Amino acid sequence: MVKTLSIARRELMGLFYSPIAYVVLVVYLLFVGVLFSLLVFAPGAVADPGPMFEWNHLALMFVVPFITMALFSEEYRSGRIETLRTSPVSDFSIVMGKFLGALTFYCVIIGSSLVYVLILSIFGRPDFLPVLTSYFGLVLMGMLMVSIGLFFSACTQHQVLAAISSCATLVTFGILLQAIGGLLGSVISQPPAWLNTAQRVMTYMSFEPQMQHFSMGLVDTSHVAYFLTGTFFFLMLTYLVLESRKWR
Amino acid sequence: MSSPDIVVDKLTKAYGKFLAVDQISFEVPRGSIVGFLGPNGAGKTTTIRMLTCFMPPTSGRASVGGYDVFSQSIAVRERIGYLPENAPTYTEMRVGEYLAYRGRLHGIARSELKPRVAAVAEKCWLGDRLRWPIGTLSKGYRQRLGIADALLNNPPVLILDEPTVGLDPTQIRETRKMLAELAGQHTVLLSTHILSEVELTCQRVIIIGRGKILAQGTPDELKQECARRGLPGSKLVVEVRGPGPQIRMALGAMPGVEHVEVLGDGPVCTLALSGKLDGALRELIASTVVGRGWALREMRTTGTSLEEFFVQITDPGVDAGRASVAA
Repeated sequence: MVKTLSIARRELMGLFYSPIAYVVLVVYLLFVGVLFSLLVFAPGAVADPGPMFEWNHLALMFVVPFITMALFSEEYRSGRIETLRTSPVSDFSIVMGKFLGALTFYCVIIGSSLVYVLILSIFGRPDFLPVLTSYFGLVLMGMLMVSIGLFFSACTQHQVLAAISSCATLVTFGILLQAIGGLLGSVISQPPAWLNTAQRVMTYMSFEPQMQHFSMGLVDTSHVAYFLTGTFFFLMLTYLVLESRKWR
Repeated sequence: MSSPDIVVDKLTKAYGKFLAVDQISFEVPRGSIVGFLGPNGAGKTTTIRMLTCFMPPTSGRASVGGYDVFSQSIAVRERIGYLPENAPTYTEMRVGEYLAYRGRLHGIARSELKPRVAAVAEKCWLGDRLRWPIGTLSKGYRQRLGIADALLNNPPVLILDEPTVGLDPTQIRETRKMLAELAGQHTVLLSTHILSEVELTCQRVIIIGRGKILAQGTPDELKQECARRGLPGSKLVVEVRGPGPQIRMALGAMPGVEHVEVLGDGPVCTLALSGKLDGALRELIASTVVGRGWALREMRTTGTSLEEFFVQITDPGVDAGRASVAA
């Protein structure tokens, strides 16, 4: 555990040393600021920050790949992977350490949006329980996003390729699945049963409906299970990719 | 001879159809310092990567400290200090931070970490650079950092891949001295292609080429093997001011001199002597030259026999010349 946390701490430190991290932090704050001023902060409106959290994933699916792209790719490129993997540390600890380091940085980024909640609480009296569940949902979604980014970073030594691949996957989960599901529903007037099922699955797997529930203050175990199993799945894949590299 | 710390038995690594390492076997006795010598692309790094558990062998076995590199990988990694080629590090970290991080990965207790980092930093001449960002260090300092990292957990076995690359001559000399001090407390496998380094520091030499072990033994055993094969030995070049024919005759008649080659003639006569060139011969030459009233301008040895041996057996054109000197 000490070794895992040491790797996590080093990754976190590495991210804070990198200028890219500060750029993504600013971009994220700008995006959430726009959501806040357009959807939440209006005269006479209800003091509900929900919409701000509901659409947060639109920024995060572009932000997270920048956090995760170098985690393994840079180790491969620089040759540091040899130093790391010849240390008495298991591959599981390496994967978990890098995951926890990136997730902590992600939490710092989403935590910065608390400034908007603070502004809202100065001018109104928002309900803080949905705010709490929203952050809980954002952390769960972040776990899945970071694990996807980590997986693609473990697949290649090219950071840009890792970033593009994870971005494409996150866009699929964030926008495409829901859009395709919606399109199928509107184009076909009397869809067959299997199409209805496919549509339901695609909507279920999208980030937006999940985050909608969290932002309303609902913690549905099926949504929690979705993010946790997805995270587990991609962390396992990352571990397998790392193991398989030994044999090449 | 003490029990071996590193045992390699028919170790093979294939990349597709290409055999990078082909059934090599050797042992490194506990507390000894062994040179792993070979030209670039000979299979040195691949062998080392298998010994450090970075990659599994295709076939064969290897053990470090009695632990199998494949099935007891973590136990092996706890017992080795490894300096990879080019010593890659995190350039954004400070030297002290990096060593502390590496120490934690090696499982060094929190209370011991600070004194241990200070001790290895001092040993590797990094004591005044602990707060420096690694990115600002020169190549030599980074190499020292890599050596410090390898020594951090005080491992019984040290595997060093080209440890003197990037160091200046003074540092190279100091590193050799340090390696000599490490022998006895640690078992050292030193990979290099610098022959003089091996001759000066190693008790045993393993020469690898084209994925196979071409020769192994002590430097003296390899030199004897070289003489047995009739490879050209070293020469003693003598430069004397005086009458050329008389000088040639006097030096050619000396005990141990088998052949005299004239490199330059004139007021200053330059001769290359070959044969049994020991220290007594050099003293005899000096006293004879001075005794006859000639002026001795220079006396030096060229072309060590081990170097010739290395060049001969690692030459891709020579395949029949494999030797295995008794261990």
